[in-house]
Amino acid sequence: MIGLVIRQIWRGALIIAVAAGTVSALVAAGHREFIAGTGTGDFAALAGDPAIRIMFGEPVALDDPGGFTVWRTGASLAVLVSAWALLTATRITRGEEEARRWDLLLTGPITLPKLVARHIAVLVTAACVPGMAAYVALSAMGTGQRGAALHGAGIALVGAFFAVVGVFAAQMFPSRAGATGAAVAVLGVGFGLRMAADASVSWLHWSSPFGLLALTRSFASDRPWPLFVLAFTAGVVAVATLAVAGRRDLHNGLSAPRGGRPAQRRLLSSPGAFAVRCMVPSWCGWAVGLGAYYLVMGLLTGSVTGFLADNPRFADLAADAGFTALGSSEGLAATLFSLLAVPAGAFAAVRIATVAAAESQGRFTLTLATPVTRARLLVAETGAALGGVLALLTVVGSAAWAGTLSGDTPIAWASALAGAWNTVPIVLLSLGFAVVALGWAPGAVTGIGLLPGAGGFLLFVVARSVDAPAWITGVSPFGHLAAVPREPVDVGGALGMAAIAAVAAIAGWMGLRRRDLRM
Amino acid sequence: MFGFLGPNGAGKSTAIRLLLGFARPTRGRAFVFGTAAEDVERAHRLLAHVPADVAPWPHLTGAETLDLLAATSHHTDLRYRAELVDRFDFDPSKKGRTYSTGNRQKVALIAAFATRAPLLVLDEPTSGLDPLMEREFRRAVEDARDNGQTVFLCSHQLAEVEAVCGRVGILRAGRLIEVADVGDLRGLRRSVVTVTCAGQGPDLAGVEGVTGLERVGSTGLRFTLTGPPGPALRALAAADVTGIAVREPGLEEIFLDYYGETGP
Repeated sequence: MIGLVIRQIWRGALIIAVAAGTVSALVAAGHREFIAGTGTGDFAALAGDPAIRIMFGEPVALDDPGGFTVWRTGASLAVLVSAWALLTATRITRGEEEARRWDLLLTGPITLPKLVARHIAVLVTAACVPGMAAYVALSAMGTGQRGAALHGAGIALVGAFFAVVGVFAAQMFPSRAGATGAAVAVLGVGFGLRMAADASVSWLHWSSPFGLLALTRSFASDRPWPLFVLAFTAGVVAVATLAVAGRRDLHNGLSAPRGGRPAQRRLLSSPGAFAVRCMVPSWCGWAVGLGAYYLVMGLLTGSVTGFLADNPRFADLAADAGFTALGSSEGLAATLFSLLAVPAGAFAAVRIATVAAAESQGRFTLTLATPVTRARLLVAETGAALGGVLALLTVVGSAAWAGTLSGDTPIAWASALAGAWNTVPIVLLSLGFAVVALGWAPGAVTGIGLLPGAGGFLLFVVARSVDAPAWITGVSPFGHLAAVPREPVDVGGALGMAAIAAVAAIAGWMGLRRRDLRM
Repeated sequence: MFGFLGPNGAGKSTAIRLLLGFARPTRGRAFVFGTAAEDVERAHRLLAHVPADVAPWPHLTGAETLDLLAATSHHTDLRYRAELVDRFDFDPSKKGRTYSTGNRQKVALIAAFATRAPLLVLDEPTSGLDPLMEREFRRAVEDARDNGQTVFLCSHQLAEVEAVCGRVGILRAGRLIEVADVGDLRGLRRSVVTVTCAGQGPDLAGVEGVTGLERVGSTGLRFTLTGPPGPALRALAAADVTGIAVREPGLEEIFLDYYGETGP
């Protein structure tokens, strides 16, 4: 049983651990260069600026390579590990249960709570691996042992906490989508509370896993007890999870399903309308999460640009990583909007991945037996996904614009929309790659669809940080993305990416047309 | 009414997937009333399909699933559909994920019959239905026949095909080994009889309809009975029979018996 669970998650755990170790080692190695051009006054300014604290967390011990790495990578690494842990948790628990594979497992002598307990044990262990990788990487770079151990343990515990939250949500909600949505909401609220804590209400640190991680102040005060609180809370959630697992029926959440409901007949009239209908619930989640994040970023724009204008050393540092001209509202907005390509591309890839999942679960057997062709289904699903992304970008651009209105240097609504829509070519690439995968490797749609956005971004940042040759940055779509709204749109780059996306989509269609459906 | 018979793994569902354009043939072509099977837009105006394993959308209610299928189908007789919902005693207000196997099958059956399509391709359509609903299914098939529709019924149950179909095709290991009228297949119908007797037991060798005679233990006999059972029963009546068990053999056994290990 344990072996079965390990088989379902080891690849993801390995990829996240390698990423955590590599990024930690690279950033720690770059510390010397950072320290060379920075004075102690700069540190004080950085630590004292509320906007910097809200966006990146409180900088402590920047003079130490370990402390510097924790500040630069800690928050994003914690979010990455948490997101992976909770998505994996709902996939292998509620996802497997929904696919009725747990029916088979539970015909053996094992009970539902015991099965859930084994999943928790493996997930928690796996979630600790990236934290261990960060610890090993930092130790290897010669940072303080205690700080590295605390940082690694913190990342591991935050990941473990969200793995348990994912399994808990999977006990409460009868569908994988519902459970994932609820767990992601916990992550979003946790991160928001950490931001609020860094903004002013510092006791709120105690209410968020990310806040508790920050309270350890690795490489400065090295306090272990916030992690005890986090471990205790994760334990409480785990106990509650097992209690719920013992009370509920298989295939149900905690409460029995309702008797029925009146039919809601909107958006059932065609495959396209139905694709939109299926997308709406998750779209709302993405819009709320991304909209809230960009609203906060908009609110902070004025104070961050002011800080970077006063402290050019940090603006130079960001420029080294490819983020130029952060000292102006437009420049900062352009950087933040280029980051938007990562979640927007992920949204597109996930939409196509749900098509692949629906196919393998046999959901299309009924609709494709009617005069609906594969072509029409593909156009409906990709069209809905593209429409969803465009609507998402509009919401996010508007949220960022609304945020900047409160500061001294608001950006125009059209500029904000232009910045958000500037990521469309990368989104098209993500869609194109996802469609190729749907045609030729339908089991790997999410992974391949994430390559242009998340993969391209990682490649771009790492390549710029280590001064890699220009052709390497040129491979990444982010190398062809103009800093809109500070610069005009790179029309050539956009058209080039759109053309590649179109070729990919056609290749995907050819694969889908000739292969057997998996049902 | 065409029955498509074959043991598990004979390739019945694969043949249907080829016919529906879900799977692509490595060789040869399939046609639906002269329309190439890969021309799904035209071919599927002529047919409706009930899969063996129905997986409705978990977040849609039965009524919403039926509406979606009506919207994508070429034509749906809504009044007949409402009648079928009643006849199959189907509750359309529940969500797809809460339906039992039988109820999931009902969704597909109702949607397929309501299209009044010239061809109904039914893949093991009654495997999850109770006997009462199986009766309703047979009624619906008869309605379709009276309506001039063709039913292509795929099954591994000889009795179901015999009850509904006029002609039968038999598939074995991917090959169509026989196409015949149901009446011609009466020879396939047989029972396996096991009797236990006090004492020596009857001598059934040479009795009409009895084949495959074998001893079971010291007091038992097993044989295969084909055709009218009278002669065998008369022979048994003479002996002191203490127990008798009669069962329908599985299709695989019948085929092995009828065609031998390697087929015709």
